[in-house]
Amino acid sequence: MFTEEEVAVFLEELEEKLQVINDNVLILEREGGSPEVIQEIFRAAHTIKGSSAVMGYEKMSTLTHEIENLFDRLRQGEMEVSGTLVDVLFEALDTLKLLKDEITGSAGDVDVSAVIEKLRACQPACGAGGPGGAPAGGVTVPAPEGMSDSREPVDLPTPARDTGSGRLLPAGQAAGLSTTGTSNGYQTYRLTLELEDAEEEVVREAEVRGFQAYQVDIGIDRGCQMKGVRAFLIFETLQQIGEIIKSVPPAEDLQEGNYEHGFTVVLLTKEDAGQVHDLVFSIAEVSSVEVRPVKLRSGEKTPAPDAARQADKKEPAPPGKGNVKTVRVDVQKLDTLMNLVGELVIDRTRLDRFVEVFESRYGSDDLVENIVEISNHLGQVTSDLQEEIMKARMLPVAHVFNRLPRMVRDLAHKMGKEIDFIIEGRETELDRNVIEVIGDPLIHLLRNAVDHGIEPPEERVRLGKPRTGRLLLKAAYVESHIVITLSDDGRGMDPDKMRQKAIEKGLMTPEQAARASEREILDLIFTPGFSTAGTVSDVSGRGVGMDIVRNQIEQINGSVEFTTVPGRGTTFTIKLPLTLAIIRALMVTLGDHVYAFPLTNVLETLTLKPGEIRRVRHAEVIVVRGQVLPLVRLAHLFREKSKEEGKLSVVILGSGDKKVGVVVDRLIGEQEIVIKSLGGYLGQVPGLSGATILGDGKVALIVDARGIVKDAGVEEIIYEVNRAG
Amino acid sequence: MAGEQQGELQLVVFHLKEQTYGVDIGHVLEIIRASDITAIPGAPDFVEGVINLRGRVIPVIDLARRLGLAPINVTGNTRIVIVEVGGTTAGMMVDGVSEVLRLPRESIQPPPAMVAGVSAAYLQGIALVDDRLIILLDTTRIFRREEKEALQELAEQAEERAAS
Repeated sequence: MFTEEEVAVFLEELEEKLQVINDNVLILEREGGSPEVIQEIFRAAHTIKGSSAVMGYEKMSTLTHEIENLFDRLRQGEMEVSGTLVDVLFEALDTLKLLKDEITGSAGDVDVSAVIEKLRACQPACGAGGPGGAPAGGVTVPAPEGMSDSREPVDLPTPARDTGSGRLLPAGQAAGLSTTGTSNGYQTYRLTLELEDAEEEVVREAEVRGFQAYQVDIGIDRGCQMKGVRAFLIFETLQQIGEIIKSVPPAEDLQEGNYEHGFTVVLLTKEDAGQVHDLVFSIAEVSSVEVRPVKLRSGEKTPAPDAARQADKKEPAPPGKGNVKTVRVDVQKLDTLMNLVGELVIDRTRLDRFVEVFESRYGSDDLVENIVEISNHLGQVTSDLQEEIMKARMLPVAHVFNRLPRMVRDLAHKMGKEIDFIIEGRETELDRNVIEVIGDPLIHLLRNAVDHGIEPPEERVRLGKPRTGRLLLKAAYVESHIVITLSDDGRGMDPDKMRQKAIEKGLMTPEQAARASEREILDLIFTPGFSTAGTVSDVSGRGVGMDIVRNQIEQINGSVEFTTVPGRGTTFTIKLPLTLAIIRALMVTLGDHVYAFPLTNVLETLTLKPGEIRRVRHAEVIVVRGQVLPLVRLAHLFREKSKEEGKLSVVILGSGDKKVGVVVDRLIGEQEIVIKSLGGYLGQVPGLSGATILGDGKVALIVDARGIVKDAGVEEIIYEVNRAG
Repeated sequence: MAGEQQGELQLVVFHLKEQTYGVDIGHVLEIIRASDITAIPGAPDFVEGVINLRGRVIPVIDLARRLGLAPINVTGNTRIVIVEVGGTTAGMMVDGVSEVLRLPRESIQPPPAMVAGVSAAYLQGIALVDDRLIILLDTTRIFRREEKEALQELAEQAEERAAS
């Protein structure tokens, strides 16, 4: 089950992507299918497909898969845009919106089979089910277990059957201690319950995430007429505070009313026992409730009554108190707070300056010393405040990681692979905005790893590898960054095969391919349209993904790199800033102005004599440790009057595998800066990515380092030089 | 607008190139001195740069250049009128701000095609107050990114007028 927050994030993204599809289908209708428009829709559908599959909304993922198929064929030029097609697309879009309403509970059960049939009918006949084959039974997909519990209509009331499973013990015989006595003299209900291995695993994992597992024994009034409804209500209530991982008798029986005097569930929650107890006991016709922490087999076998009692005694949990420990705050408010702190910092700097003036004018007067003291204290408080607000915006990376194991499991299942998926460093904290962005790229990478990376079990055995593949996802702090690595022990990538493929795909001439370095070849995976998969499946292999992955990560000032060994596996390394609002930057001067280079793109700085600059055709280049780099003069780019004299200060920028030297007047040093947008009126200004406010209150511009590197036309010059020398 | 119902308009009146202009006070947030403007390389030439307005980065335009006149000479009197239009905050540099004026709505006349070298596309009207000619600027049009759009809209209005 997913938390409310995760569902909300998903819905937000869904809303946005639906809008993208909507807008582009409109363009499609109006202007016909340009490759850009088709690509936009394809990508949006692809994203919805991925995230809805993760969330377990299979109808949505099936439907978007069909849309994606359709646009893949449009993209390949296998079919044309027609009026009927647009009609069907809008119908599909409406169905998607209905599915969204179904998730939020504002619409009933939605049938997707009709519209899927229509989508298929639009495509010219080809092999069954489109390229690669739709997932088995793609038309009508039963809602996955767990999701259905709370939504399926409850049949009431059916005559009670004997439950059969579980051993019912009268209260007196039980070793535990009841946490409630009921005044109406009904017997309390209690059950000795043993967890299966898989369930224990779930409990263990949940405990790591800060959840506590409780066994909740619930007794129901003998006279209860609608036992199914009662059970349904209790499930609903409990699912609001946690996740039910097991029930005896099984949930289906309970909802049918097929149980005797009570039932038992295992609940994962962050609430304490007292709260769970009170919550369940507040439901009508519940005669007894007992909440005990679940002890795993590795520990004591039977739940210790002492622990149960302590849990209850220690926290009497008066309703309404104690549970208000957190407050939801709009991120925008935190942004505003951050801005206000920024102003404080600036004012404090000004105050400092006045203090200096006072000191020089009046010497060590008592009053002056007071001001110095106030100023220092203000400075301390301001920086503490800044840090606290920064922290308030941070969330543990678990928010993204937690939705992944299910996805990997399902994928592995579907692909017939055996995978041991290990996650480390869930508690690592990241800025909320960064968290929102990395979900998608991670899903893409995982899909690729499961689909192409890890071999089927038989193949692994044949190769002498362990049958079960290993996939490790790890987050950790490295200096002022967070580094996420994803390694698999699968096939790895073979540069020679890729070289061949690049030629086949027309991305390189045989000559270019022969000349390209191994790194250049490997980095082709980031090229749109390059896919290493032999076959197209609904999981990956359409050549969508890696280019988007890199784009999304670079957009938030992060970087993605990978190493691969054929036959041994691949490791992706994603480096991300801790926050989007504040970055470390290299400050430089040019003319009378100060500019900031995001440090993520600065590889090194050096000083050059003018004589060290060489020319290739009309372009200036420099040679750094044997590597030829294009040289850009920032003054030319920004039409500033340069004050450079004698030696040149050069900043080496890198983005992806490209490098460029940029000449500036003077290097000032590193500094943390708060990124501000240039605003909607100016929009995107070439060469700039934003602005920041300096300590003296002036505005400094942030250089769009990635843009400069991209525009510098590297390959041409390098090939030119390589050929010459 | 409230002023419209009362039949009265409040204007912030300023000078620009020997002419007197006015903008609806409802759009004006504040008026500040022109200092520490950071130029934006690569931006349109009427964009003077950006300033720090209490922690926010706000673009500032040279109103004279925006209207197609010669650039402003910055002096001690030069001011930046901070306005809010269509959800964005921006500043326009003017030669000096003189007063806030209340005008009856009737005294405003539609602008001729061109006043003092300024296209009517940017004007709301003109007003005669004590023998002074005040040119009313339409801030929304001034801060519209596409000049073409504004001109097109004007053409459409003319068509409408011709049709009715």
